[in-house]
Amino acid sequence: MSHIVTCENLVVTYRASNGPVRALDGVDLTISEGETLAIVGESGSGKSTLGMAMGRLLPAEAEREDGRMDVAGQPVFDIAANDLRELRRDLLGFVFQNPMVALDPTMRIGRQMQRAMGRRAGSEEIHALLERAELDDPARVAKSFPHQLSGGMAQRVVIAMASARTPRLLIADEPTASLDASIRDKVMGTLCRLRAESGASLVILSHDVHMIARHADRVAVMYGGRIVEQGPTGRVLDAPVHPYTRALLKAAAGHEKPGDWLTPIPGTPPLLSARCAACSFEPRCTVSEENCHTTRPEPREVEGREVLCLLAGTQTEPKEAAR
Amino acid sequence: MRILFYFLPKLAVAAITMLGVSALVFLSLRMIPGGYADVLLGPFVTPEAREAIAVRYGLDQPLLIQYLNWLGALFQGDLGVSMVTRAPVLDEFLRRAPVTLELALLALIVALAGGLPLGILAGIAPPDHRGGLLARLVGALGASVPDFVLGSLLIFVFSVWSLWLRVGGYVGPIEDPVGNLRVMLLPALTLSLFGIALVLRTTRDAVLRVMTEGHITTALARGERPIDIVRLHVLRNAAIPVVTVVTTYFGFLLGGAVVVEVLFSIPGIGFFIFSGLENRDYAIVQAGVLIAAAVFITINMLADLAYALIDPRVGSGRH
Ligand SMILES: Nc1ncnc2c1ncn2[C@@H]1O[C@H](COP(=O)(O)OP(=O)(O)OP(=O)(O)O)[C@@H](O)[C@H]1O
Ligand SMILES: [Mg+2]
Repeated sequence: MSHIVTCENLVVTYRASNGPVRALDGVDLTISEGETLAIVGESGSGKSTLGMAMGRLLPAEAEREDGRMDVAGQPVFDIAANDLRELRRDLLGFVFQNPMVALDPTMRIGRQMQRAMGRRAGSEEIHALLERAELDDPARVAKSFPHQLSGGMAQRVVIAMASARTPRLLIADEPTASLDASIRDKVMGTLCRLRAESGASLVILSHDVHMIARHADRVAVMYGGRIVEQGPTGRVLDAPVHPYTRALLKAAAGHEKPGDWLTPIPGTPPLLSARCAACSFEPRCTVSEENCHTTRPEPREVEGREVLCLLAGTQTEPKEAAR
Repeated sequence: MRILFYFLPKLAVAAITMLGVSALVFLSLRMIPGGYADVLLGPFVTPEAREAIAVRYGLDQPLLIQYLNWLGALFQGDLGVSMVTRAPVLDEFLRRAPVTLELALLALIVALAGGLPLGILAGIAPPDHRGGLLARLVGALGASVPDFVLGSLLIFVFSVWSLWLRVGGYVGPIEDPVGNLRVMLLPALTLSLFGIALVLRTTRDAVLRVMTEGHITTALARGERPIDIVRLHVLRNAAIPVVTVVTTYFGFLLGGAVVVEVLFSIPGIGFFIFSGLENRDYAIVQAGVLIAAAVFITINMLADLAYALIDPRVGSGRH
């Protein structure tokens, strides 16, 4: 199986006014062609940074300090500006959290669609693509300005734009979080259907465990700028191994309504300024031991998934039911 | 339709504003100590002579009557008669307006030609770019050097080394286009330095703000070239604050740039109002301020119209 994304030990730091913030602290991740991967984690764990890094769309104050990110065989942080533009245009598609922000308020939808599809796209092609994104009156939508659409319609436009050139990798950062709960499933369905039609890979960055359970083939759990557990969706969600994954699922388990966000775990996630020399979850971990405080965990294969925990799979690990 | 509904209330507000300005001008002028009689007849004027002057020009009437008389005449297009030259004020203004208009247009062109490109450059260039540094220098200079300082400096330099440009000795553009330009360029330049800085800073700030907006990331994500991003997304979204300051600046220029016109002996409206004020020539000052206000309000309404054309959300009720 070939990989559309290969990310090795990626370290990204933001130069903020009150010191550096190490948002990615060595991420190792591969994404296969055609698979749907969900990346979950609390706010600030680095999901968006990782997603944007796939198109090198990080803001100017972000710096890749170490590691590499290969997308479709091209090292995005090391290629020329022209190649990067072509990569973004031809192979990548991004769906952002808030469509009202993602669309230019001063340009008609049709024109923005055309920019995404290429100069030769006529109004018939534009309408056809809008129709594929399940917008009922494409002619009217194309004539509208973004503020004249509902949030759901605008997000369908963004999804249509992202799929305009049949990308090989779609990256959706909280694609339904800004939408009304009643339409989240439908919009997510549209995104997944368009993905399936093109056979692209899809990365969903989200808090919504139930949505992930429904749509993702594989789940990666992020904490403190690293992926602490990744594996097939069923295995990770049904029998989590990392203490953080367990806490995350437990926090969400009480009130299981679709669209619910994860309630926070006691304590706060770390704000790293340099490489973390220990397990970054140790201060909040209920089962930690002496060496969790002194040893940086490296990825290990445990029960059919990759885990970053010194105790996972060992005798000392207290077996507790996740659900 | 959207634009009409957005625009009609603004017209009403403009009319009310004009009325307010007229009352304010009328009153404030009569608050200034010393009257026309003092200026005309000198400090040793007798009470009888003062009386005669007051009756002649209706200055003995109650203020409200004076104001209403003035307003009534205004509506018939009568701006009054200069107490000094006895000529109708309107004619005097119309004679001088083209001079001020030319000066204002020249200064505006220079301000836009300098401020817009530098502002855009400063907005999109990385912090250590040479163009960005130049922009910062010009912005700081323009905002800190007063026009009479720059004007005096230019007058000094160009009086010593004539260098083709001329100081004073105004000639009209119809009689002598080249000579006119030689006279007008220095005052226009003096006036425009502030404008360059104003346009530059506003443009840069607006561009910087737009560059952080989400739709720019979207455009980058679909592989747009930087030049297309600036052309298609940045300029239009950054335009509104720029339109605001450019129109305000132009209104300020049209109202008559008193200091620069006096400094360079340009016989425009600013010079005219200035001498009117010196002579307590009420009719001129009243009319001058009123015309300046009318020009300003008209220009601001044009700016409002421009907003609605630039941003489809303006006046749509959803912002
Ligand atoms: N432009 C920036 N400047 C400085 N720090 C930043 C910047 N963007 C993100 N960060 C920091 O980097 C870390 C990771 O942020 P990121 O947005 O990737 O997290 P996230 O998992 O997407 O969170 P959320 O769920 O809130 O979207 C956070 O600590 C955040 O404060
Ligand atoms: Mg995020």
